[in-house]
Amino acid sequence: MTSVPAGALLAAQDLRKAYGPTTALDGAEFSIHPGEVVAVMGPSGSGKSTLLHCLAGIVTPDSGSIVYDGRELSAMTDAQRSALRRSEFGFVFQFGQLVPELTCVENVALPLRLNGTSRKEAERAALVWMARLEVDDLARKRPGEVSGGQGQRVAVARSLVTGPRVLFADEPTGALDSLNGERVMELLTEAARSSNAAVVLVTHEARVAAYSDREIVVRDGRSRDMERVV
Amino acid sequence: MRVRWGNLPARARSRAWGRVRDLHMGARFAFTGGREGWTRVLLTAVGVGLGVALLLLTTAIPNALSVRHQRDAARLDYTYSQNRPPKADDTLVIADTDTTYHDKEIRGRLVEPEGPRAPLAPGLTKYPAPGEMVVSPALKELLDSDAGKLLRERLPYRVTGTIGESGLIGSRELAYYAGTEDLAPRINGWQVARITEFGDPYPSSERMDPVLLLLVMVVFVVLLMPVAVFIGAAVRFGGEQRDRRLAALRLVGSDSRMTRRIAAGEALAGSLLGLVFGTAFFLIGRQVAGSAEVFGISVFPSYLNPSPALAVLVAVAVPAAAVLVTLLALRGVVIEPLGVVRTARPARRRLWWRLLLPLGGLALLYPMLGKGRTNGDFNQFLVVGGVMLLLVGVTVLLPWVVETVVARLGSGGVAWQLAVRRLQLSSGTAARLVNGIAVAVAGAIALQMLFAGVESDYTEYSGNDLRRAHMQVNVPQGVVLAGAVEKFSATRGVREATALSGTDVGDGPWRTEQSPDVSAGVTIGDCASLRQVARMSSCRDGDVFAVSGADPDADTSTAKLARPGRTLYLHTSSGMEQVQQVAWTVPAGLKSARAVKDPNGFKRGGFLMTPAAVPAGAASAIGGSVFLKLDESVPDAHEHVRNTASRVDPRTVAMVWVSSAQSRKFASIRTGLFVGAVCVLLLIGASLLVSQLEQLRERKKLLSALVAFGTRRRTLSLSVLWQTAVPIALGLLLASAVGLTLGAVLLRMTGTPVAVDWSSVLAMTGIGAGIVLTVTLLSLPPLLRLMRPDGLRTE
Repeated sequence: MTSVPAGALLAAQDLRKAYGPTTALDGAEFSIHPGEVVAVMGPSGSGKSTLLHCLAGIVTPDSGSIVYDGRELSAMTDAQRSALRRSEFGFVFQFGQLVPELTCVENVALPLRLNGTSRKEAERAALVWMARLEVDDLARKRPGEVSGGQGQRVAVARSLVTGPRVLFADEPTGALDSLNGERVMELLTEAARSSNAAVVLVTHEARVAAYSDREIVVRDGRSRDMERVV
Repeated sequence: MRVRWGNLPARARSRAWGRVRDLHMGARFAFTGGREGWTRVLLTAVGVGLGVALLLLTTAIPNALSVRHQRDAARLDYTYSQNRPPKADDTLVIADTDTTYHDKEIRGRLVEPEGPRAPLAPGLTKYPAPGEMVVSPALKELLDSDAGKLLRERLPYRVTGTIGESGLIGSRELAYYAGTEDLAPRINGWQVARITEFGDPYPSSERMDPVLLLLVMVVFVVLLMPVAVFIGAAVRFGGEQRDRRLAALRLVGSDSRMTRRIAAGEALAGSLLGLVFGTAFFLIGRQVAGSAEVFGISVFPSYLNPSPALAVLVAVAVPAAAVLVTLLALRGVVIEPLGVVRTARPARRRLWWRLLLPLGGLALLYPMLGKGRTNGDFNQFLVVGGVMLLLVGVTVLLPWVVETVVARLGSGGVAWQLAVRRLQLSSGTAARLVNGIAVAVAGAIALQMLFAGVESDYTEYSGNDLRRAHMQVNVPQGVVLAGAVEKFSATRGVREATALSGTDVGDGPWRTEQSPDVSAGVTIGDCASLRQVARMSSCRDGDVFAVSGADPDADTSTAKLARPGRTLYLHTSSGMEQVQQVAWTVPAGLKSARAVKDPNGFKRGGFLMTPAAVPAGAASAIGGSVFLKLDESVPDAHEHVRNTASRVDPRTVAMVWVSSAQSRKFASIRTGLFVGAVCVLLLIGASLLVSQLEQLRERKKLLSALVAFGTRRRTLSLSVLWQTAVPIALGLLLASAVGLTLGAVLLRMTGTPVAVDWSSVLAMTGIGAGIVLTVTLLSLPPLLRLMRPDGLRTE
């Protein structure tokens, strides 16, 4: 019988996942509460991105349990998991997530449009979030015309525009210099906390993990909870 | 003046050396770029190779056709001469016994050498003895197979050898030489002849009909243009990856000119490898062509030799075009250091110079309007130049059309928005992708219009009444018609056999040098058969009828000759000389009949004779025809009839009736267009698919990210479809407009009324659209694979 930590919004137990002969997860555990920021740390190849992909329902684990808001993810169909990602999850990746042919505002509005919101309505909401992330002046520019830091802030705005309950950020500052990285992290955690969204933050940088409430270290596919010492 | 390397100033020399070094470095990058680099070079090389192979093959076709013609001329055995050489030790009697088997023509000859020095047919080492035959390899294969079972009955000779390549016009040609005896008495100068040598006794430099020549020229241009467009597209495969690599080079100190030269070097390497691949593809294709038959035409690999000048042109033009296209493609790209490649905002495309090309094409064709067939010495340069400019016009107009239209496309669903935005960002790429199809469709529409317009000039309506007979067997003189009818009636699949023989009757004896003053036709058959050609009140064996109601001249002659008691002479010539004079007295009980159209659609005048009324000695000296009504549900009914015909006499000619027949040359040009168009469209389809897959691979990460945040796979698939469908729709519209214009101009050139053949326009655009759909469908599985979360993995 799976036991979910009390009050946890998203919890995983005994997750196992292998890619061919390579074991990515080997009994990993995870839990997060609403409004909490949890950093998943670990060296390259330790399995932290795989853990994020499993938690977000992008990848199906070979075994183990993932429960989101009382629902078992592995029992859902692909379409149901996609709908969940569209409506309740947000994503920020290291690079490559902005659609180059769409303008920045269209990129931010895209998740809302995928949910069926009208174009006008979606772009209005997108502009509000772009203003909060201080990139509203880039609304009509294409991703190719903005800097890396600006592009990442546009991506954060896009991840939050649907009002997600969980935000998954996979190395969100990996391609940025330290100054831009810090600014992006400040805006991301601030915006998430203000909307009570939980943030799963995958990083290998301690200074990025410093923005979290709690850290989980993944090594050789196993996770270990590290209570933050403030 | 010759410039020597050593005379160049040091700075110029170092500059030139630097350029060569850059090109060389680019070429090395092409082969040392790891798996991705190799993939890109291979894609380019395969693409260019396919194009080169097609170019080489096309340039080899005229030579192949010419060799076929020469081989055919070298084995000609028709004399069509009234002079029959006497039997000697260097003469050969040869009979034409061509037949058809399952719609395949079989060249057959019966041979009887009359002496040791009888001329040997090309491809033979000796003549087969009576009852034996030598066959072409393809016929041997057919006879040895189950499919040749019925044919073995028709050719009951023992196979003793094979005809060599020099005696055949194609590797799949069906042909045989069978040994026989007693042919000499049947010599008639056309079907059976005595010859002393093979070959065309009257070689002529026959000029091709100008309209057919025009068709050939346009077909070549129409087929080669898309290949050129395809090669242009192939050298740009993987361009985006290359641009990223060039950015890295800028970081380590290359200036923008150097990076362009390096890119050119890379394209050059790909295209040179493409030339090697193309040569290999061509050589493989050449061998494959040796065992293939397309619309009844086959060749030996040795026939497919491209003209050296054209081969050199291909070898020089393709790499040069590759470098040029790469440099042009890099015009709008700003390559900066720091790994950033930013596409410069492209200057808005201008329309005016793009219109100049098609207008120039029309101007070149204008002087030839209305020349028609009689004055149609069409200037080849003007025709080829004009058609090329018009078709190139499609390739330069299309980017403008796509850009202008997609800029105005409004909002829609997410799939539509993704597609439209992508097209707005890179409308040039989209236009390039469909250019090949647009050019092919424009050319094909124009040609279909031209074909449809002049079709009636090259189609002969047989007039045969297919309700009354399905086959006609012409029986040579000397064969008893009644016996033949009996055999045909007993043949499987034959419902009814009607025999009619015919000759002429004159008021005086028939002589080689002089015919009678007044003559009329004579048709011989039983009463049932005669009712096929005339209406008569009553008929009994022994009756003779004078026919009226045919053409006025025939009626006048008949009236002059139809006087009871008058002696007339039957024409019984075998074609070479008068065999015998058969006199016939017009009987007292001459009846009258009214002509109706015979199964061939003609009204026969003169006299009708029932068998008992035919004078002695005449029946065997007159050839006839047997008309057969078949039960076409019986399998192989035609073959059974042909087998019976061959048993009656190998010289019989059995024909399956059709309502119309097209000129052989016209039909073969049309066939050539279809074969070429199929090859070109397949090639373009393949290029579209490669480009599509390459674009998708470039976007692997993005696609995975889009799926990660919940984008439906259907949305992305639909966006890919829109992305291809919009430019294709625009391309097909433009192609239809240009094709119809070109078609109208070509029809005006041949002096034919301009009419639009909408069915062919729809068919051609439908084929174009079908290719898009197929390419989209084929790219869906990789698209779904690329949308997997693997794309998000960075480690």
